[in-house]
This record gives sequence, C-alpha cells and structure tokens, in this order.
Amino acid sequence: MELDYLKTLPLGGFNFDNCIRNRAMAESGILQAPKTMKTGTTICGVLFKDGVVLAADTRATGGSIVGDKNCEKIHNLAPNIFCCGAGTAADCDHVTEMIKRQLELHRLNTHSENRVQMAALKLVAHAFKYGGQIGTHLIVGGVDVKGPQLIECSNDGNMYSMPYHTTGSGSLAAMAIMETRYKENMTREEAVNLCIAAIEAGIYHDLGSGSNVDVCVITRNKYEMLRNIKHDNFKVFSKPGGYQFKKDRVQVVEEFKHKLVVEAGEQPMDLS
Amino acid sequence: MSGHNCVAIATDTRLSTQLMTIDTSFQRVFKVTDSCLMGVSGLGTDVQTLQLTLRSFYFSNSLMKFKLNLYRLKEGRDMKADVFSKLVATSLYEHRFGPYFVSPVIAGLDKVGENEYSPVICTYDSIGYREHNGQFEVAGTGAELLYGVCETFYKPNLEPEQLFEVISNSLLSALDRDSLSGWGAKVYLLTPTELTVRSLKTRQD
Amino acid sequence: MDLENYTNVNIFKKVYEKREVSSIHNVVEQPHHLLKDNTQHAKGGFNPYVNNQGTTVAIAGKDFVLVAADTRISQGFNILSRDYSRTTKLTDQCVITSGGMVADIETLHKLLIAKVKTYQRQFKKTPTVESLAQLLGNTLYGRRFMPYYAFNLLCGIDQNGQGSVYGYDAIGSWDKLTYGVQGSGSELGAPILDNQFVGHNYLVKTLPDDVSVVEDTGKDIINSIAERDIYTGDQVEIVIVDKNGIRVKREPIRRD
Repeated sequence: MELDYLKTLPLGGFNFDNCIRNRAMAESGILQAPKTMKTGTTICGVLFKDGVVLAADTRATGGSIVGDKNCEKIHNLAPNIFCCGAGTAADCDHVTEMIKRQLELHRLNTHSENRVQMAALKLVAHAFKYGGQIGTHLIVGGVDVKGPQLIECSNDGNMYSMPYHTTGSGSLAAMAIMETRYKENMTREEAVNLCIAAIEAGIYHDLGSGSNVDVCVITRNKYEMLRNIKHDNFKVFSKPGGYQFKKDRVQVVEEFKHKLVVEAGEQPMDLS
Repeated sequence: MSGHNCVAIATDTRLSTQLMTIDTSFQRVFKVTDSCLMGVSGLGTDVQTLQLTLRSFYFSNSLMKFKLNLYRLKEGRDMKADVFSKLVATSLYEHRFGPYFVSPVIAGLDKVGENEYSPVICTYDSIGYREHNGQFEVAGTGAELLYGVCETFYKPNLEPEQLFEVISNSLLSALDRDSLSGWGAKVYLLTPTELTVRSLKTRQD
Repeated sequence: MDLENYTNVNIFKKVYEKREVSSIHNVVEQPHHLLKDNTQHAKGGFNPYVNNQGTTVAIAGKDFVLVAADTRISQGFNILSRDYSRTTKLTDQCVITSGGMVADIETLHKLLIAKVKTYQRQFKKTPTVESLAQLLGNTLYGRRFMPYYAFNLLCGIDQNGQGSVYGYDAIGSWDKLTYGVQGSGSELGAPILDNQFVGHNYLVKTLPDDVSVVEDTGKDIINSIAERDIYTGDQVEIVIVDKNGIRVKREPIRRD
C-alpha cells in the first residue's frame, strides 16, 4: 500500500503551530486563552517502616467550578512506583503517562526493576526542559533495591526527598497534620491513618480540594490501591420523587432518524 | 449525558464573534463512528479543524478524521469510543503550548457484553485534560449554567425517551440564560441501533 | 528556509516586538493593574472589597416566600465560617438575604433594621415590603460611588398576602421577581429555577402554592450548587415567611 507519506508525519513532541495565531489573537483582544483545568489539590506521601503511603483528594477545579468530582490523582508509573500529581491537570495526566511508557521500555530492555530515583529524574528532566511551563508538582513514591523512597518533583526542575511531603493548594493544612503527628518507623496502619487525616484536613479546610480520599500503599513486591477509601462527601438531599417537567417546554420541530448498520444476524457493529 | 444503553448530546446552533451572531445553524456535533458522537464548542475555526467532515490533508490539522481512517486501515475495525476519547486527549495535549480554543464533548457506547453497553461520556479542557465520570459532562459558554441544571435534573440509568426529556430541559433552561448561546437547539440521541436527531423549538435570540 | 517558515518568523518578530512595547506601556501608564489583586494595597491602589461568596435562593409562593441559603463564608481558598446566617429579619413579614462581602452585608442589614425602627416610631406602623423594597433601592444607590458590596434579595409577604421577591444589584437597580438567586452559585441556580417556576420568559406568572414542594426544590438547588461551586457548602438555611411569621431551619450539606 502506498503509505509512504505516513513517514513524514510528526511523531511525538509538542506542536507549536497555533502559538503565533493565539498570541496574535490575545494581542488584538479578539479572544483570550480559555482557562485550563487545575487539580487544586491536596496530595501527600509518607515513608513508614517497610514502604510508602501516597494519598490524594479527588477534586479537579476550573476556576471556582468543580470540573471532576472523582478524578484520579494517583498515577501508576511502574509496578513498584506510584506518583501523586498536583497542578495543571492535563500536564499531570500526560507527563506521568509518558514516563510510565519510558519506564516500561527500560524495564523490558534491562530485565530489572525500575528505580524510584530514575522515575523522579525523568520527570524532573522533562519539567526542567520546559523551564517550569509544564505545571506538574509531583510526589513520587516507591520501593526499589534501595528500599522505600519518597521524592518530590516540582515544576521548575527541583527534586527533594524527605520522610513526608505535601503539595497542592491544601498543602499547608495537610502539612500541619504531618508535622504534629509524624513519627519515625510507623506501622502501615499508622501511616495510612496519618495520610487520610492529612488529606481530610485539606478537603475540609481548603476550597480547592474536596470529595474523596484515595490512598496507595506500596511495600516490597506489592502495592495496594485503596480508591475512595473515605467517601464522606456526597449530595445529601435530592428532591424526593424527582422533577416533573412542563409538557410544553420541549417542542420537537423536526426529527431525523439514522439506522445504524446491522449486519445479518450480528450485533450492530464489531467493537471487539 | 448517559442513560441505560443510550447516550445523548444536546447543543445550540449559534455561531458568533462575541456578541454578533454570524450563523444560526452551525453544526457542532459530528458522528465519529457508529458508536460515538463528538460535540465541539469553542472557536469556530478550531471546531472545524477538529471536526471530522473535513477530509483534508494529512498534516496536523486534519486531526481526527485522518487518525480514525488510519486506525481503520491498520486494524480493520472502527475505533471504540473509549479509545477515541483518549486519542482526542493526546491530540489536544500535543498542542499544549499553542492550544486549539475548543472544549470537545464525547458521547459514545462501547459494547461490553450481549446487549450490554457502557456509556463513554467525557469532556476536555483546551489542553487535553480528560474528564469522565460516566454521567454527564458539559462544555462551552454556558458550562456553569449547565452544571447547575444537570446536577439537579440528572438521574442515572434513564431510558432513551426519559433521557431526551431531561437533556432537553437542561439545555433549554441553560440556553435561555446564556446570552452567547441560542438560535435553536439540537439533541442527538444515540442507542446501539439508532441515531436520532431532533431539533427543538427555542427562543430565537 | 521555505517561504512559509520565513513569513512565520517575521510575524513572530512583529508580534514579539509589539508585545515588548505594549508591556512597558502598561507599566508606565496604567498602575491600575494593581487594583486587580485586592491584597496589594501599596502604590496608590487600595481595594477595600473582598468577595466572601456564598449562594442564596428566594422563591415567592401564593401566600408565602421561601429563602434557601448556604452558610459558608470564605476568603480566597480559605473557609472563614461554616455557620453564618446571610438572612436577616426586617419585619415580621419581610427578610433580606444577601451574597457578597460579609462586612458590607452586616452593615447594610443593621442599617435597614435601624431604618425600619425609625419608620415604626415615626409613622406608628410597620413598613410594607413594597416600601422596604424602595428604601433598599435608595439606600444602595445612595452609595453609588462607594457601593455596599452586597447582592440582595428582599423577600416578604405583600399587602395582598402574596409572596414577593425583589432582586438588586450592588448599586441599587432593582426589580420585582417571582424568584431570584444571588451570590457565587447564581449562574448555576438561575436556570433550575427558570425550569421549575414560572417567571422568566412567561407573561402570565402564577405562583406555586405548596410550601413543602418549594422547600424541597430550594434545598435541592442549594445541594446541587454545593456539588459544583466550591464556595457553597456546609449548611443550608431555610427561611419561610408566611402570615404566621418567620420560621428558620438548618440542615447540613457537604462540607468540603
């Protein structure tokens, strides 16, 4: 098949085609760039005796509106490495996805487990390359040959490691809990409870964070994803019996029906 | 918005430069595959660049149509709605630093078993963050208005006709309050066997 | 370099240069950009206004009027209070409910109570809702150039025994409504009310007559707004005004 032209397709990397146009439009005041979704988050991580606990809330905001009430902020990078993301939601999603693929390739090439240090370094290198423009504030946690590790990676390319970390708009609330209740060599139970308490502090006292608590516990050769371990925030009251709509409110002017292809004896389409 | 084995997209038909109306029958919703619809709101030029009816060049601004066709050629089947929704996310993120000023909404049905379909409902910000909760998603100038009505009126597992009533009422109420939308409304109701398009009577302003 | 890229580079240069100039221009001639940030008081910019957010809904009925409001006040991303009542009783048949800046709301409410008392002493009768509506309009417009940062709904039973709601902007433009919503969640609440109650888009306005249905709807609306608006939450305060007087109830809603 004549598909040679496919080789000329741009593969990967960012596309800057619209930059000039967008800037010109902003300059002339035709259109301002639309707001992007922020996580507006509380995320935290804690080291304990034989592993790492990561925790996050599940609210994504765009301005003052909640965009996603139950989003996933704990991303999987490798079987032994997870990462919590705060900042620009799109960046967190796509950067972690990209690094995940790189780590998988590395794992297949070297036949060995990924190191947390390497995952963090890759994230930081990517962020630094774009001079802080990529809004990823991440907490990377995992267990490798060197034991349990917790590293924070900021968007400007910094990377630092402490026994407990908090980031996001609710980081102050969460850090307050961490500072008072953290102690060395905690058990798994204690660490999970500490993380939940820290995230809940963010959820209730910071408007940018909300909804549920996600927790991820990583120990040697094993991880446990406890999604929505706390789910105390939901709509308390709905009108009993639901809503009746006025009959004349919706008036159909014209209708058009399109039968979708149904092949003989089969379901509408092959979606396998 | 999703229901039991059905999904729907409702949209208005106005295209404008800020306050001046240019077109009163602008098409925003497109059929991607037999199991997936995409509605795009935002800057008119970008809406049309992203849209599928333009079977244009292979370069970056052909976007979806080209990628869909290539997938069909390589795999010999249509793209699942879920896969397509992720493709849109990466395509938008590719333009992270020079985004298309659009916020697409995707509604699709993926077959998960005999007569069992899982709805795919998601929306994106302009740089490709994919929001999906399987219930309802909104986008465009009236997003805040729509969030309010949908949150109140939506119930899970509605049958197609009930879903049509809920989504129409939600859209019409929000439309009347949004000065940037109006001039007619269209509801696209997708079930595994049929796509129904209905034009609604609205205020013409 | 092909022609396309060449022109692109030129456009880029032009835009870039233009931007440089305009940014300098901004700094020299328009120090007002400081006003946008209300924490910054230095350099000639002083902004005494903060928005403490919160949502309030009012619905008029045949012989009652219902107010549903949340009780959260916040500043930025911080919650300042979880049980603030944004509804104040003015007379036995009239309440005022507001969103906006709490300091201004309190002051305005106190001022109105004082004015009601003066009226009562002077004329030996309680002011009607219609007179209070006009009074509030005048009070707000009296501060045209340093307005109260308060978005009000005045609700009460009028002389015919019907419920009525009056909606205001911050500087005293007002109108008689059959329902209203003010505050941070007003955009979310307005279309729900449009759909459920006759008013907007209709010439003949018939008011709802069942208190319990209206109460459930009001509560549901605040609950729905709390789902999507980060500034709304904690508790819903229901105030019902009818011929027997004023009843107040509170119920918890999501606190995050």
